[in-house]
Amino acid sequence: MTLRKLREAWDHFFFTPQSPVPISLFRIFWGICVSAKILLLHSDWLNWYGVHGWVTLQTMQVVEPGIRLNLFTVMPQDDRWIAAFFWVFLGCALLLTVGLWTRVMSVAVFLCLTSIDQRNLLMLHGGDTFLRCAGFFLMFAPAGAAFSLDRLIAIRSRKQDAQIKPRAPWAQRIIQIELALLYLTSFFWKLKGHTWLNGTALYYVMHLHSIARFPLPHWIQSAAMLRAGSWFTLALEFSLGTLIWSRRFRNPLLLLGLLFHLSIEYSFNLPLFEFDVLTAYILFVDPVDLEKWWSALRQHLGRRAVPLLS
Amino acid sequence: MSSAGKASGRKKRISGQAKGRKPLPPSKSEAENRESVRRAAINVFILFHLVAIICVALPWNLPITSSVKELVRPYMRWTGLYQTWDMFGPDPEMVNSYVKSVIITQDRHVQVWSFPRMEELGFGERYEKERYRKFLEVLPQTQYAPLWPDVARHLARSLNNQADPPDKVMLIQFQSEIRPGVDDSHEPTPRPNVFYDDYLQPGDLK
Repeated sequence: MTLRKLREAWDHFFFTPQSPVPISLFRIFWGICVSAKILLLHSDWLNWYGVHGWVTLQTMQVVEPGIRLNLFTVMPQDDRWIAAFFWVFLGCALLLTVGLWTRVMSVAVFLCLTSIDQRNLLMLHGGDTFLRCAGFFLMFAPAGAAFSLDRLIAIRSRKQDAQIKPRAPWAQRIIQIELALLYLTSFFWKLKGHTWLNGTALYYVMHLHSIARFPLPHWIQSAAMLRAGSWFTLALEFSLGTLIWSRRFRNPLLLLGLLFHLSIEYSFNLPLFEFDVLTAYILFVDPVDLEKWWSALRQHLGRRAVPLLS
Repeated sequence: MSSAGKASGRKKRISGQAKGRKPLPPSKSEAENRESVRRAAINVFILFHLVAIICVALPWNLPITSSVKELVRPYMRWTGLYQTWDMFGPDPEMVNSYVKSVIITQDRHVQVWSFPRMEELGFGERYEKERYRKFLEVLPQTQYAPLWPDVARHLARSLNNQADPPDKVMLIQFQSEIRPGVDDSHEPTPRPNVFYDDYLQPGDLK
């Protein structure tokens, strides 16, 4: 591939305008996940982030040194401020979800999100990391261009017409790359061990009492099924990291990935992780397919077909 | 522009060409210039972040990725873009563990407090308390020893009784190995490991 062709492919991938519907839907799902994360932390908010929490700010800075974007370092060290921060954060996340002052709220939510993560880095799972990384790039995306109060207000005040204009999807593309990278590097990490390759990994996972959730049928726990499950996980993670970029495989892979995450959600207690990751699946769905599914759903419900993309 | 003006303009260009000069390219408008600068800045932004993210996330320390990782580490740490996707990798945990604490009061009474154990909680509670599972996974590791006095102080404050205040806190991790092929009912008895044991200092309960 010549340099010129590479440049053209780069421009096409990052800058050819496309419908902002997927990134707007992602904003809503992402906002819901962030709001859920905040609400689930409510009962232990001061235990985790308070002045005299499980870990103090000073100790966290000793254990994980370095300059970090963390509002707790500039906030007065007073539990009343920290409790108020909870409500400000939740308010911003809800406003972002409904798309009011979208750009400003995306910045505010990212700042709050990265602050609570940096304040206590030892209680985070992969879902938190994905939310935070995706949130960083969401700040640069036209996330309020559809399904938002901002747009509704702009249409009412005649600053925008009813047709949704295509936008350069570069920020959306980076979030998509983040998701693919999550699967691919997770696959590489597993190759570094031996249990995933010899097929015993799922046996250990299923016997971890702390993450067990609902009971599973006995036949699933047979040695052969667990071995097949371990290898299937490897194959799926590799495919979701690579083949997802091929239009031919994309929708079947998204469906498999969805079923995979929902089955993990049923079997294991890893709260919100599955949903945090699934939010970004919408970014891989072709807007034309979204339109088709929307029309089919409306027809199924016996409603008039109203275009989704305008 | 009048027709005379157009004509003189044409005449000027022709005379310029006649002297062998190249015709001037059409000048870009200011808006186009701004757009190309903006596009170039976005390209640099994308390229930098892609290289940084890929080098940070890859699980191998190749010379090239290690150098990039070192270079971008302060920025990635500052923004919170630092990332590792080692879910159940390279191998899943092969032990079941939980943490309990023992608090000895000034009157030598002993109180045992168990950190939330997911397997003992209801469905909704597990959603709320899952952070404890993650926290307790790393807490007993020696690299996190600076955290232990904080955890002990927090516990002592939470369980403080003015009439008989806490004097000493012990943090104990219980672990039992997962043995493939062994029935759950024959699981080995969890073995305790006291990883923190110290007296509280004056002022710790404030």
